[in-house]
Amino acid sequence: MARRNKLLASSTEATRYQREWFAGLREAVAGGEPLALVNADTPQEIFRAMGIPYVVNQWWASVVAAKRRTGEYLRTLRENGYPDYSEQYSATSLASVLAEIPDPPWDGLPRPTIVLGDTTGDASRKVFDIWDEQDGIAYYPLENAAADTVPVNWWDLMPEQWEAAIGTPRLDLMVAELEGLVRFLETTTGRVFRESRFREVMTLINEQEEWNRRTRDLIARTRPVPLRVDDSISSVMVPQWHRGTVWARDAARRFHDEVAARVAAGDAACPGERLRLMWIGRGLWYDMDFYRHFEERHGAVFVWSMYLAIAADGYIRYGDDPMRALAARFAAFSDQLYRPPWSNEWYLKEARLHQVDGVVHLVGEDARSGWFITETLERAGIPVFELRVDNVDQRAYDLTAVRAAIDDWLITRVA
Amino acid sequence: MSTTPPALKELRDAYDDRPAAIRRRRATGAPVVGCVGADVPVELVTAAGALPVRLSGDPARDRAVADRYLGTGLDPAARSILAGLLSGEPEVDLLLISNDSAASLRLFYTVRELRRLGVEPSLPRTHLVDILHLPHRTTARYNRVRLAETKELLERWSGRRIGGNELAKAVQQHDEARRRMLALRRLRTADRPALRGEDALMAIGAGAVLTAEEHAGLLDRLMLADAGLPRHDRPRLYLTGSAHDGPEVYRAIEDAGYLIVADDHDWGDALAGPLVGEPTLDALAERYQYRDPTAARSSVRVRAAQAAATVERSRPDLLVCYVRDGDEAPAWDFPAQRRAAGVPAVILEHRRYGELGEDALPIIADALRTARPKGEAG
Ligand code: SF4
Ligand code: SF4
Repeated sequence: MARRNKLLASSTEATRYQREWFAGLREAVAGGEPLALVNADTPQEIFRAMGIPYVVNQWWASVVAAKRRTGEYLRTLRENGYPDYSEQYSATSLASVLAEIPDPPWDGLPRPTIVLGDTTGDASRKVFDIWDEQDGIAYYPLENAAADTVPVNWWDLMPEQWEAAIGTPRLDLMVAELEGLVRFLETTTGRVFRESRFREVMTLINEQEEWNRRTRDLIARTRPVPLRVDDSISSVMVPQWHRGTVWARDAARRFHDEVAARVAAGDAACPGERLRLMWIGRGLWYDMDFYRHFEERHGAVFVWSMYLAIAADGYIRYGDDPMRALAARFAAFSDQLYRPPWSNEWYLKEARLHQVDGVVHLVGEDARSGWFITETLERAGIPVFELRVDNVDQRAYDLTAVRAAIDDWLITRVA
Repeated sequence: MSTTPPALKELRDAYDDRPAAIRRRRATGAPVVGCVGADVPVELVTAAGALPVRLSGDPARDRAVADRYLGTGLDPAARSILAGLLSGEPEVDLLLISNDSAASLRLFYTVRELRRLGVEPSLPRTHLVDILHLPHRTTARYNRVRLAETKELLERWSGRRIGGNELAKAVQQHDEARRRMLALRRLRTADRPALRGEDALMAIGAGAVLTAEEHAGLLDRLMLADAGLPRHDRPRLYLTGSAHDGPEVYRAIEDAGYLIVADDHDWGDALAGPLVGEPTLDALAERYQYRDPTAARSSVRVRAAQAAATVERSRPDLLVCYVRDGDEAPAWDFPAQRRAAGVPAVILEHRRYGELGEDALPIIADALRTARPKGEAG
């Protein structure tokens, strides 16, 4: 059984690029550039087009988590009178503006001047309200609308027929929100928004995600699978944070070419692959060896996680009007992953595409539509193991017991 | 011992067994529209010839089946509403769910999907009323579109056109009830208030299952009886935080010798304002966009301003912020509310649905003791 290693050159390159980018960003901000802190599911494209540096809030939280410092950040929130049990992931960064964090990861998050998030969730918008109370920091809230009825097959419709998938009222609203954002940024930063540059950004992103789509399709149809899910996370995610740049587009292509070369050479994650598994939920950050454990015993390989799949299906938007196309990328972004019927039907479609034999489904306490995901897969004859972990931070997780239960499930239900 | 005025008793009876009140209504053959959240435009339902009833949870109701579908991380009040719907309690002819909180929205997605999959065939036909709340013209235009859709939906469903007259009449009736609810605040905030917070909560909440006309009439009679009501002279609390769709927490606080003179959730004082005024869809859209702030939809800044204004009109000795498990937004409001209120303040976190919690009364007593200026008698 192969140990963890940097299997992919694209992954090593992504990590290097991310470090270099962050150092450059710190320098630019120290030199007086504006800085935006933006939520992952918001239209960063506008900032990219205007040349305004930004950091993705959830990326920063993952850096803090990777260094095992989240607890300290949450404590800081508590000391300032805020809850340490609410919206922990999106609130992590807030701690760094409330107090000096000693020896912070990556030398710390520079103080932003603009924060961007939408109003989904009662508590998550409040976190941004607190940012807004800080000196010299402005919050631009984005409205988040919902639809009464939706067509199920969003993954077919989104690239071209997004108007039909999302509905005109939601798109009209999001376009208006974005136009307001552009004016807000023009006014507060003095930067110029050029339509030609914006089109370029949108084109680069569609190209990047088309590469991700090819990679996803290649992995889905290749048996044995050329790489494990956790091998590809940096190769997918780092370029996603940089989408709209030439580097990111090319990084997605390099990743694809690397996977294609592995397929051509017959390289496999687990040459003795017998069972293909899907992983639904956030990464199990505290037990990364989890994903390999089942290979040796059962030839069971995790071939799917949402990171590459949502890059492949969730972002591509064509159309003559780039602002409306951008609105279509974000007006219903989280619906794709979290809201039935879109979420559960998409997981089923992906399970079939990847020829999976079973699904391990991480069901948190706040399982958004978790029941429907399990139900939809099981109804289609795909066995699901529900891994109930209440809180990723609290480590109420018995490694041996969980692995034993999955071993048992693989033998009795999947194999 | 004082005698309860008959109007208060009627309001309490309706409130205490809201499902029974709905059953009685439905037995008359009148169509009943279940509403989730305070953003369903009840005027349109009334104008369509149906009775809008607001669904509530019940801490005593078994939530197991609902928890299976919704998970346990969500506000238990919403989980309890689903548990009720799944057991046909109450039965409604149509269900309108508003996006007045993340929990309501998730409830909508869940009911819609359960129906689509045919898992729970007894669930009523259900639609979303997506009224949003950022204070911008862009949001107002969006809400206007959604209201027009809701109106058309109700017309198709009821087979009745909602004309100008029907709308005008409904707006007027609901505004009348709101006017009474606003007036009721005076009974709570007088120097020696005549109404306990629990009674006010019930008087307001009874409107969930009454016609606007009946509700307004009962509130009128209650206010006429004001002069004869006993006066309360006790430490005054302003209760903020999570919404209370039942009396349990109020009762636990007031039975311990305190008086809740104000609150700011939409089963209480924050349900009433503002009035619609003009009988037009535009006015209706604005009313729901800009209705009184609540923890779930309003910004920290707006909530702080509301706290300051509420303190000014109700003169509490203590601000108490109650944060229910699964409903965390109020905890983020609290530091700014405390700063803005200018009175002593305590927060009660991790509360279980319908429960005050054993540590709460000592916390409240302590805060009042340390707050009281030297020399003042207990
Ligand atoms: S076939 Fe799979 S399980 Fe066996 S050694 Fe190779 S990687 Fe490990
Ligand atoms: S636990 Fe996982 S995410 Fe955290 S540092 Fe180790 S490998 Fe990275």
